[in-house]
Amino acid sequence: MLTYMLFLSSGLFLGWSLGANDASNIFGTAVGTKMLRFSFAATIAGLFIILGSVISGQNTADTLNALGEINALPAAFSVSLASALAVMLMLKSGISVSISQAIVGGIVGWNVYTGSQTDMETLASICASWVFCPIISGCIAVGLYLLVKKIMHHSKLHILWQDWIVRVGMILTTALGGYALGANNMANVVGVFVDSCKFEMVKIGNLYTLSGIQILFLLGGIAACVGVFTYSQKAIKNVGKNLLAVSPMVAWIVILSQSLVLIMFSSKSLEQLLLSLHLPTLPAVPVSSTQAVIGAIVGIGLAKGGKGIKWRLVLKLMSGWVASPVMAFVLSYITLCFMENVFRQQVMLP
Amino acid sequence: MFNVKISLFARTRELEHSIDKIHDKIIEMAMVFKEAVNIYLKERRSENYSEISKKIKILENESDRLRRDVESKLYEQNLIPDMRGNILQLVENLDKVVNLFDEVAHKFYIEQPDIPIIYHDQLRTLVRQVSDCAENMAIASRAFFRDLVTLRDYSKKVYLLEHQSDKTSAKLRKEVFDSDLELAHKIQINTFVEEVADIADLAEDCIDALLIFAIKREI
Repeated sequence: MLTYMLFLSSGLFLGWSLGANDASNIFGTAVGTKMLRFSFAATIAGLFIILGSVISGQNTADTLNALGEINALPAAFSVSLASALAVMLMLKSGISVSISQAIVGGIVGWNVYTGSQTDMETLASICASWVFCPIISGCIAVGLYLLVKKIMHHSKLHILWQDWIVRVGMILTTALGGYALGANNMANVVGVFVDSCKFEMVKIGNLYTLSGIQILFLLGGIAACVGVFTYSQKAIKNVGKNLLAVSPMVAWIVILSQSLVLIMFSSKSLEQLLLSLHLPTLPAVPVSSTQAVIGAIVGIGLAKGGKGIKWRLVLKLMSGWVASPVMAFVLSYITLCFMENVFRQQVMLP
Repeated sequence: MFNVKISLFARTRELEHSIDKIHDKIIEMAMVFKEAVNIYLKERRSENYSEISKKIKILENESDRLRRDVESKLYEQNLIPDMRGNILQLVENLDKVVNLFDEVAHKFYIEQPDIPIIYHDQLRTLVRQVSDCAENMAIASRAFFRDLVTLRDYSKKVYLLEHQSDKTSAKLRKEVFDSDLELAHKIQINTFVEEVADIADLAEDCIDALLIFAIKREI
């Protein structure tokens, strides 16, 4: 168990990175526009990240397992560490990136190192989701923006009541966004440890039973919570203020769009509903909350005429979306090489 | 929790009423000022003028109290963080207009200028124009909090009235200086006319700032 916890530490480090980086997308705009205090927003987001991770976190883990079934603990450790380092390095350079892209780069690195075949269909589906995620988020944000603008115009609501509604809305969407992030992204953090999970079932009174895998997701959620409180303020500076000067109302629309997109890409029930209606489905894939937020902000910026958008910063952030999986791939290959040849650990079970 | 929500709800409603009252005071002040100048031109510093001067002073004091109340509540309750600075500036600007009404009315009371009857009609026109200008500014400012389209409509009216008041005051001052009055007398009337016209200028400045804030308010 001690060895397992030792190897899991890299996953928890990745969880910390998720909290430090991606969680800021949930409430970054709310804190950036001074509508919510950082400590308040972080508490709500942290709590709901844990709930999302434990209750629905496993839905997207299957897709990652289909990409590469890492069956040895030392390998899971190396892949997580490589992904966390990639995210950390990008964050240090001021580029908000996504754990989703880093972990995929890490898993593909393991596939290449061990000579396992990469499921190209799954990889293509994941990469497609990276393209569709900001586009869908942008479309939802534009729709919501035009709708809210129309409602505001006709309702003639006093500015003080508008402020009230936006604040309450922001609190609710921070909770929703936290849940969605936990549900969609926690597989990135601890997904690679699912196969080698050593935790046993725990009963909480007579009310609820936590499976071993749920405990694993709970630990990931707690690590993300620590990341939210210790480091997410730095990432907020980019998303909340710099990309486009946004009003609190727009900030709320951005968080809501992002949360809806994350839920769309992690909900099994939505997938079944679309299937029953013979419509194209959205796969349960861990998508990037950073991409969703940037898609929403750019979408609204374009709806406003496109003048206020800082395209140079958008391009810088987009370059991070390509650089992070590549960096994670390289780091994963190097750490696996070290793990096998220096520490003499098995990186693939036969 | 429920109590906290009710209290927040009540405090927001209270602040909304205070903001509305500030605008009510300006509209009332404009009407009372118009009446005060009319009384002065008819009766000089009479009992009636003393009464209406007191009324103006009370309005000014109430307006000051409301301004302080709105300013402190906006910060204490951490409301509208993105627009708070602008709203404070707006409330300060509105207060300057109220103060100027009070100052001019008080100056009539203290200095008792002797305004020849031939200038009375023009002065009444000027006072009506600046009062209407301030009234429309208050309506525009109230609309800023609820309806930006109405704000633009009333802003146009303010600009028009300010322009008319400029023309009226220029014509009146020219006639005063072309007259055979003593130079000191001319200068005193000129100062009064300028100060009355300043009310419209101040209202116009207020609208200029308001239109900039409105751009920021649009989502």
